[in-house]
Amino acid sequence: MADEQYRLLPIANVVRIMKHILPPSAKISKEAKQTMQECVTEFISFVTSEASDKCHKENRKTLNGDDICWALTALGFDNYAEATVRYLHKYREAEREKASSQNKATSSQDKDDEESSEDNSRQPAHQQTDYEAPSPVLEFRVHI
Amino acid sequence: MADDEAVNLIRPEFPTGRVKKIMKLDKDINKVNSEALFLVSCSTDLFLRFLAERSAEVATEKKKKTVKLDHLRTAVKRHRPTSDFLLDSLPMPAESTQAVGRSVTDRDRSRPVADKPAPTGTRRIDQFFCKPGNESPIKINDT
Repeated sequence: MADEQYRLLPIANVVRIMKHILPPSAKISKEAKQTMQECVTEFISFVTSEASDKCHKENRKTLNGDDICWALTALGFDNYAEATVRYLHKYREAEREKASSQNKATSSQDKDDEESSEDNSRQPAHQQTDYEAPSPVLEFRVHI
Repeated sequence: MADDEAVNLIRPEFPTGRVKKIMKLDKDINKVNSEALFLVSCSTDLFLRFLAERSAEVATEKKKKTVKLDHLRTAVKRHRPTSDFLLDSLPMPAESTQAVGRSVTDRDRSRPVADKPAPTGTRRIDQFFCKPGNESPIKINDT
């Protein structure tokens, strides 16, 4: 029974995001929370499947970022596709920065070392049992 | 989403391990690169926010403070791409505890057994226990 939960995104994460969006006085029924959890999980499977089909057709084995962007558009989620393309570019830019800064092994050029307050605002509250803290895929600072 | 100029910090709200696990439930998926994983997390986050917002709108329209399954369902129906893949996955109205009883199955369930017509050729068991009055009791021949 507990196994089932691992096929879904953690409900605590889902609810936390919902609460960001809803007015402060709003409540969410238990059923709605659970259904939303299933909906977003379904979304993942759906987009992945579509992207995967494209991959197969092009004889590739690895799903990449472009496949995801393509899938979103193909499925009619143009609104997310645009934002996602921007995220993709930022991600690649950050990867390049990381790679180039790693190459500058002897360089002492790094002037800025400011602490960001972004981290604090993103700290999840560890109060609920089924809560998994999001592991950062990418945490970086772009020096402008 | 954190998206300001000075510090570019993008961290999707969902645990990447779990997202990856869900993606890999699909047997057709071989490998997923980190870009794809990141973007799936991001777009799922966007989708959730969108659906939450729309559901809240429906609740407000109906003057309710609690967002319920029915509101979610209406929100899904109103957005074609979402409805196409999601509507069938939602629990049927009859299955929900908040069912208003509009569907056929609900109607059947809410009717007391005594009101349902007995199948032809059979007698209702409660006929055996009726007091003599309107109908004569069924005689059992013991002798």
